Amino acid sequence: MGKTLYLLSSGSLKRKDNTLFVERVGEKPRFLPVETTDEIMVMGELDLNKSLLEFLTQKQIILHFFNYHGYYAGTYYPREHMNSGAVILAQAAHYTDEARRHKLASTLIVGAIENMRKVVAYYQRRASLDVEDILSDLERFEAMAPQSGSVPALMGIEGNARNRYYQFFDRLVQDEAFKMVERTRRPPSNRMNALISFLNSMCYILALSQIYRTHLDPRIGFLHETNFRRFSLNLDLAEIFKPILVDRLIFSLVNRREIQEKHFEKETGGGIYLNDRGREIVLRAWETRVNETIEHPRLKRNVSYRGLMRMEAYKIQKHILDDTPYDPFVSRW
Amino acid sequence: MFYDVGEKRVGKVLKTARRYLTWIQNSVLEGDLSPATFEALKIDVRKILDLQYDSVLFYAWRTERYMSREVVGVERGCTDFMV
Repeated sequence: MGKTLYLLSSGSLKRKDNTLFVERVGEKPRFLPVETTDEIMVMGELDLNKSLLEFLTQKQIILHFFNYHGYYAGTYYPREHMNSGAVILAQAAHYTDEARRHKLASTLIVGAIENMRKVVAYYQRRASLDVEDILSDLERFEAMAPQSGSVPALMGIEGNARNRYYQFFDRLVQDEAFKMVERTRRPPSNRMNALISFLNSMCYILALSQIYRTHLDPRIGFLHETNFRRFSLNLDLAEIFKPILVDRLIFSLVNRREIQEKHFEKETGGGIYLNDRGREIVLRAWETRVNETIEHPRLKRNVSYRGLMRMEAYKIQKHILDDTPYDPFVSRW
Repeated sequence: MFYDVGEKRVGKVLKTARRYLTWIQNSVLEGDLSPATFEALKIDVRKILDLQYDSVLFYAWRTERYMSREVVGVERGCTDFMV
């Protein structure tokens, strides 16, 4: 599995000597190894040209762009290199078949809620928190999911479960500076919301990059409505991993005081965002986290969370091809 | 990777190696490669070399855990993934 490159500062990226070359003002230009790169995250201002994009297409490197606030802006998704008519057809057929779509969507939600419960239970043990009420509500939502009538109803259950789950954040995090009170987006109204939004989008992007390496089409999601906007399958996939990757990382960053008040800024328009320093800390922690390995229970070998995400995509692919029914990844602790 | 090759070929070896590894200082590059990309690098380099005259060394570690690296003086190149 290749590496992820983060371009935080501004400059230009080009193809030179058949590899990648970055130039920045006031700093020495640098060559970057193209053969070991899988994806590039562009946070700063970047000049690039078409020959670079052609080169990236040839090397199957995916490019993600973020705006000034660190919001996801878009992706250069190179020409599909894993073409499979059979998978696309199966995926579309699975989407249009209401009953089968509902089944897969509810499995995704059950997996997501189960991972939320694992996170809550972990901190209940570790910090001896009083969270029985949240745990039992989550359990109730989890049981409701397979019985719900439609996919929109499922989305409702998911939303309710997540709201309840977010109440656990304020019980765990004692630091007043990181109280969430309620979940707000666009713009995030406080530091906790800013962290959640930023890392959630990193999780969606991670899922998208992994889907690119499978035969699946990221535009056809099952839980999230397929529409004219953009990718949705990656949102489905990320749902399973958000509690384990995003939320756990937030708690450790905040509780260890690696991320502090000084890493945020208030912007005109009322939103609170990570500043450059804060963003770099979070991204380094994120990159370390997704490269962390765990022993896979069935394969009996170490797999990184990034690899696990890819395997999750393969599992969905197998499910829609009627090979093996999808069984979501659930963390064991 | 450390290389010592005829003057005519240094440029070519450097350019090829930079596609896989990060330049650290003259004739030295570092990086981590999967077994397959490592083979690809060796194949690409071998095409350039005059095997009677040049030599290229690869030091490989199976894990980073038992490796330490110390720099005395100026650090000229680094392998950081955030730039």
